[in-house]
Order: sequence, then structure tokens, then C-alpha cells
Amino acid sequence: MPDATLAATPARDKVRAVDFRGGGFAPKTRRWVGIAVFIVLIGFVEWGTQAGWISALTLPKPSDVLATFGELYASGLLFQHLGPSLTRLVVGATIGASIGVTTGVLIGLFSYIRAGLVPLVAAIFPIPKIALLPLFVIWFGIDEGSKYALIAFGTFTPTVVATYGAVDNVDRTLIRMGQSFGLSWFSIVRKIVLPGAMPGILSGLRISLAIAIILLVAAEMLGAEYGIGAYILQAGSLYDLERLFAGVVILSILGVIVSAAIGAIERHLLGWRT
Amino acid sequence: MDIRLDGVGHAYGDFEVMRDITLDIPSGRIVCIVGPSGCGKSTLLRFIGGLERPTSGRILQIGDPPPDCLNPLTYVFQDFALLPWRTVTGNVSLALEDHRIGGAEAKAIIDDVLSRTKLTDFAKALPKQLSGGMKQRVAIARALAVRPAVMLMDEPLSALDSQTRELLMDDLIGLWTRTPFTAVYVTHNLAEAVRLGHLIVVLSRRPGQIRQIVEIDKPLAERGYADPDLEDSQKQLWMLMREEARAADAELIDA
Amino acid sequence: MTTFNRRQTLALIGAAAAAGLATPAIAQNRKVTVGALRFTSHSASFIALERGYFADAGLDVELKFFQAAQPMAVAIASGDVDYAVTAVSGGLISLADKGAIKVIGGALSEEPGIDGQKILASDAAFQAGLTSPAQLGGKTFGMSTAGSSFHYMGSKVAAAEGVEMSFKPLQKVGAIIGALKSGQIDAWSIVPHIAKPLAGSGDVHIIGDIADYLPNYQVTTVFTSAANASDERETTESFLAAFSQGVSDYNATMIDRASGDEGVDQMVDLIHKYVYTDRPRDNAAPSIINGTMRLNEGAALNIASVRDQLEWFQSEALVDEAITLDTLVDASYVNTIDA
Ligand SMILES: Nc1ncnc2c1ncn2[C@@H]1O[C@H](COP(=O)(O)OP(=O)(O)OP(=O)(O)O)[C@@H](O)[C@H]1O
Ligand SMILES: [Mg+2]
Repeated sequence: MPDATLAATPARDKVRAVDFRGGGFAPKTRRWVGIAVFIVLIGFVEWGTQAGWISALTLPKPSDVLATFGELYASGLLFQHLGPSLTRLVVGATIGASIGVTTGVLIGLFSYIRAGLVPLVAAIFPIPKIALLPLFVIWFGIDEGSKYALIAFGTFTPTVVATYGAVDNVDRTLIRMGQSFGLSWFSIVRKIVLPGAMPGILSGLRISLAIAIILLVAAEMLGAEYGIGAYILQAGSLYDLERLFAGVVILSILGVIVSAAIGAIERHLLGWRT
Repeated sequence: MDIRLDGVGHAYGDFEVMRDITLDIPSGRIVCIVGPSGCGKSTLLRFIGGLERPTSGRILQIGDPPPDCLNPLTYVFQDFALLPWRTVTGNVSLALEDHRIGGAEAKAIIDDVLSRTKLTDFAKALPKQLSGGMKQRVAIARALAVRPAVMLMDEPLSALDSQTRELLMDDLIGLWTRTPFTAVYVTHNLAEAVRLGHLIVVLSRRPGQIRQIVEIDKPLAERGYADPDLEDSQKQLWMLMREEARAADAELIDA
Repeated sequence: MTTFNRRQTLALIGAAAAAGLATPAIAQNRKVTVGALRFTSHSASFIALERGYFADAGLDVELKFFQAAQPMAVAIASGDVDYAVTAVSGGLISLADKGAIKVIGGALSEEPGIDGQKILASDAAFQAGLTSPAQLGGKTFGMSTAGSSFHYMGSKVAAAEGVEMSFKPLQKVGAIIGALKSGQIDAWSIVPHIAKPLAGSGDVHIIGDIADYLPNYQVTTVFTSAANASDERETTESFLAAFSQGVSDYNATMIDRASGDEGVDQMVDLIHKYVYTDRPRDNAAPSIINGTMRLNEGAALNIASVRDQLEWFQSEALVDEAITLDTLVDASYVNTIDA
């Protein structure tokens, strides 16, 4: 029968390929596009400021920003500013993230701690940490203490939330499996819960560390003579756009480096993910 | 070591899952449990494994487990439950680490179970690199590593395609023939039950009760693919279960 | 759409003509925005507005209040505010260098014989021996930001005493006060109406006068956008004239007490509409009276002091070395003092 039907198909019908409709909706890596966007944008601003239709009050010349950056480097001031900032960032973020991860894991594991701390974390999450800076100065002193505290506090809350979410998302059957093999509680936490929560913890850290960089400027509002944030604030108050932008570019680069570092850690630690 | 279930019944709140199940699991035998969906097979297995407590009745161990046994009641899960961040070796050694077995002794055990499950060449692979059948062989290797007195297997093959399932059944039979082990094997699949079970326990629909216990005398090693003797037993089982399954199915739709 | 009939149109033309005739020499009801902080040192603007001096000069003035001097300077540069009073700072000089603003007059200056800015020490530092500016060596000095007037004053004092201090940027006056009270910083300098109540609390001690180091220091100046200074001469002159009337009233009433206590009372009432509005009048009055400092008559500008400030900012590399005094100041509007 099918043969008969086929044969009955009028021979004069056109033959053509089926239309393809399946394209798009599949992001691919196009690395150079990002760089091109930067180049076009910077080139545009350079042209505008050189030609004068972007006033000196609106934006600095990108070439001047580069020159300022060069001077900053040549004078050694760059490292005088970077050193304290990186220390603050590393110390503050390490304190905040490690306490955050610990608290998050405890919330994930113990019902009483969860019941006690989740509302507290929800209450302190939306507080603009900058508003507490004067208080931190009184508690921790105007020197490094208050800066570490501000950055630590700012990284703490998002880390906690990301961590207990990650612990909650650990595959329960893996925990059951651990119990069925008679693993101790501590072994289950160390060998199953923590590695299982690691992807969520690391993506939480990505956000927390970006927040730490944002808070760096805030932390250096009070009593910092050196530091990228202090440099930016000073440039702002002097209305020195070249320095302001040079400082902002340093923060951006710092952000890119942190993000790349976490990417590298993820590739190293999370190679098992499909 | 034998296991005895003595009048086991269970309810989640008002929701009765099983009723008065009394059953002996003799040492060195594979006991298959079949029954319609939702009749409490997995729950029963969790009771035997000590992961959950029944509301009534008792689960008893009769006799001591063999002295070299590390984890008397050991699970093999339907979805393998392998740690994706550990290699095949790492996954097997997880079961040994808490028993303070390390170094050469652990290596000897791991090498042994990997060779018994034909995984020696994949010792360093991560789970994501393995096929489903291989993953389940890793899970079985891990279970064997702790020298269990009783293996508790909850639909261990149902996540696999039918060819892989046949191969793994042959593997399990091979393993048992060399060193007989005790197992409680939950399945939906009657063909699996008749291939692997010395005893087949048929449960009614929820609340699960024992409808019948069918014994198959033919030695495991002699049972084969599309074995006519087994076809008969399978047909007999299906006659037993058919109405229950239909009713259970209708119940699910009503719910 | 609005349509006029013939009679209305004629009336409008007539009114416009009459207005034009009646005020030939002054700006004609120009809308002007004046920036201000809620400080007694901004009283001249409040008086000129309340007593109608701005209106008489043909200016329809709207006051726009700011929390700090820095955003006010930016608002002038962006054209949102026309005239304002603020201290000379690195930011102001930078904006002048970018062709955005000009200093056109003086507002407040240190003057011998009149209470001026005080040098303060925290109680802790005071107890440890910081009892005069000579002991400031190695101490920390509060400032809002690098390049602020606090930075200038502190540096000048330290230089005169031949000592080195470190400067702590704390962004806001409130934060500086907190840090000083709690002993987180050792010293600071501030206008007397803030200094005196602080010293009264015992947390802080007055250890010197800025005037001893910077006589005739031009503390605040009147400034406007460069465009106003060059293209809106008439309006700018009108503004300065009305502002100066406010200054005269203020000095006469508050310092020379030309109208006695009653005059002071009336003036306090007027100023209290703008300053310390969160306190009851009786509570605010002492602070307002305490804060009295002489404003520059005729908005006269001490050009020597401004030059010294510019040179100091340049010597600290806070602003470009190439900036000249003419870039910062348009001296064509008011009398200048060069001493
Ligand atoms: N923790 C629980 N709380 C409440 N009800 C549960 C719980 N666990 C299982 N049940 C219910 O108990 C009944 C039996 O569940 P169980 O998983 O043991 O059935 P099963 O026989 O294994 O079914 P299947 O063949 O689908 O795997 C089901 O109706 C299930 O919904
Ligand atoms: Mg089940």
C-alpha cells in the first residue's frame, strides 16, 4: 500500500529542502565582541573629548586617564594605594567569607541554628553597611579595624545566604548513602555536604567579593590616607576626573581579576561537574 | 546472619502505607520484593536498613554478621548515589575510610572489588565519564567493599536501558555464584525478579501486605535470558499482580 | 492652547512696557537659584531674600539647600545653581580650571579682634599633653577630604609650628566630630559656633586660634558659574549688590549691635527660619548668636589670602600647577584686599 501512495504522488510537484527553523537561542562564546565594545566606547569618548563636543566637565580624555595611570605607576604611588587596599580586601573578605561559610553550613545542618539565625540574617542583609561605618569606627577604631569590619560584614551576609542555600541543595540521596555506609556525622559533613555545597558557595563568593570591592571605597571613607578608595574619594572631592577614572579602572580590573580567580578555582575544584 | 520482619506496619500520619508484614530473609539468598507502585517497597527497605523506623512491628537480626563484615546492611541505590567529585576508586574508598581501613589493606580491597565488577580500567575515572551501567557497577563495587551481610537493593537496574540491565543481571549472577551473598532486591520488573530471586515476595497495593511468596528452585547460574521455566513463573506472578496493579493505577488517578 | 482677545493682548503689552520702563537699570525679574548651607555664615543670603533685597534688585531668587559644599560647587558647574557661598577647596579650584566656575567675591574672613576659627584637641590628646598647637607633631588631624579647607588650615598651622601631622579624611563634619570626641583623632579646626559648644562638653579642648596662623584668612567666597561671571554681568552685579545689603544688615545688627538687643532678636528670628530649624527658637538663639562672624562688607575679597590658598593646593599637588589666580577669580566685581 505505501508504495502505491508514493507512486500516486504527482511527479510534477516541486522538490525543495525543508526550511531550517532551529537557529538561535544558543549562546556561544564570542570573546572578541566584549573587547570590541570596550574599544569602540573608549574610542568614541576619546574622539568626543578631543573634538570638544564632550566637555572637560563631562568626561576626561581616555588618553589623559591612561597618562594619569602611568604617572601613578611611575611615581610608585600606585602600589602605595594598592597595598593597603588589597590588605583590607583580603583580610576583610577572608574574615567575612569564612565566618559566613561557617554560619551558612551551621544553618544548613542544625534546625535550631536555622530557626534562630535565618530571620537575623534576613534582618541584617538589607542594612546598608555604609550606614554603620561611624558605629564601626567606635567599635573597632578608626584605623584598619573598622575597615576590615565593614568589608567583613558586607561579605558575611551574602555568603551566609548562598551557603545555606547550597547546603540545602546538596543531594539528599548522597547523605542517605553516607548514612547507609555508617559514615560518622563529621565525615558526612566533610566528605559529602561541603563538597556538594561547593558550587553554590563559590557562586555566592563571586557576589560577596564583588560587594567587598564596592565596600572598599566606603571603608576608606573614614580615616584612610592611602588606598584605592581613598584615592577615588579624594579625586572626586577635587573634581579631578582623570584620577577619578584611573581609580575606577583599578577597581574594575580588581573585579575582573577576582572573577577570573574564582573561575580558576571553580575549574580546579568543580571539574567533576557535567 | 538472617533478617526477620515481625509484623511490620507503617503509617505516615493517617496515611497507612503497609500492614503486618512478617517475612524471613535467609542468609545467602536473594529475596525479591515486587508489588504495585506506592505499596511501600522502598519504605520497607529503609526499615530493614535502619534508615527509618516502622510505627509497628520489629526488624530483627538473627545471629551475628560475619567477623570481617564492615557494614552489615548495605544499600545499592536506584540512582547510584555516587559522589560526583570522587573518582571510581575514591567512591569505593569512601565506604572504607570511616572503618579506619587505609593504605595497602584498602588498596587490596578496592582492587579486588573493582576487578570483580570489571572496573579496573576505570579506577581513575570520574562518574561523569561513566555510562549508567558502569556507574551502577561502581555502586555495587562500593557495596561489596564493605563485605555486607545483607545487600539492600532498591530498583538498582531501573535507571538503565534493557541491554545494560541484562548485562548487569549476568554480572550479579556471576558475583553471587562465586561468593553467595544475602540480598533484598526491590523491583518493578518481574523479569528481573524471576532471574535473580530465590524467593519472590508479592505485595498487595497500598497498604502493602504480603499476597504470596513464590519460591524459584532453579539455581541462579542455570537461569538464562528468555528462559521458558522463568516465563511460566513470570506469567504466574503477573496473574497475581494484575488486578492489584490496575487498582493501584486507578487509585493514583482518583487521588 | 491659550488665545488672547485684543484687549488682553494690549494689556499684556502695556504691562510689559511699564515694567521695562520702571526698572531700566536692573535685571528684570530674572529667576536666580542661590545655593546655601544651613549655617549662620550663609545668613546674608537669607536676609537678602527675607527683606526683599533680591526682589528689589529684580531677582526672583529661589534658595536651594545642600548638605555639603562639594555638591553645591558641582551644582554651580552643572548650571543648576547660579550663586553660592563656600570655602576655597581643591575641588573648587579644579572646577575653575575646567572653566566651570569663578570666585567673584568674599563672604567670611578671619579678622583681628573678632572670634574666628578654633583649633581643637580631643580630651585624650589634651590629657596626654596636647595643650597648644606647638605640640601637634606626630598627631592626627581631622579633615573632610584631602584638599578641603580643613586640610589647608591644618597644614598651615603645622608648617608654622614646624611639625608634621597626619591627616585623616572623614568625609563629613559629623564624622569628624564623632572621631574627635571619641579620641580617634587628636585635633581639628572649626568655626567658633561649633567649636565652643564642643569645648563646653569637656570632650574637646580649644588649644588655639586659626587667626594666629592665618590672619585675614578668606574662609568663604561667593562664586558663580564662569558663564554667569562673563555673560550675565548685570544679573551678577544685581546679585552681589543685594547680597551685600544682607551682609551690611547682618554685621550692623549682630556685631555692631546698631539696633540693640531688639535688633538681634529680630535677626535671630529671621535666621532661625533657615538654621537650626529642628530646634525650638529659644534653644537655637544662643547657637546663632555664638556663631556670629563678620562677613565681608561689599563682598570684598582678600585676594592675598586666596592666592596663598591656591599656592598651597598647588604645592601639595592637589591641583594643577599651571592654574593662575585669574582662572580662579574674576576680580572685576568687588573691592579686593591685597594684604
Ligand atoms: N516520608 C514520607 N512521608 C509521607 N509519605 C511517604 C513518605 N515516604 C513515602 N511515602 C508514601 O508512602 C507510600 C509508599 O512509598 P514507597 O516509596 O515505599 O513506595 P514504593 O512501593 O517504593 O513505590 P514505587 O514503586 O513507586 O517506588 C507512597 O504512597 C508514598 O507517597
Ligand atoms: Mg520505591
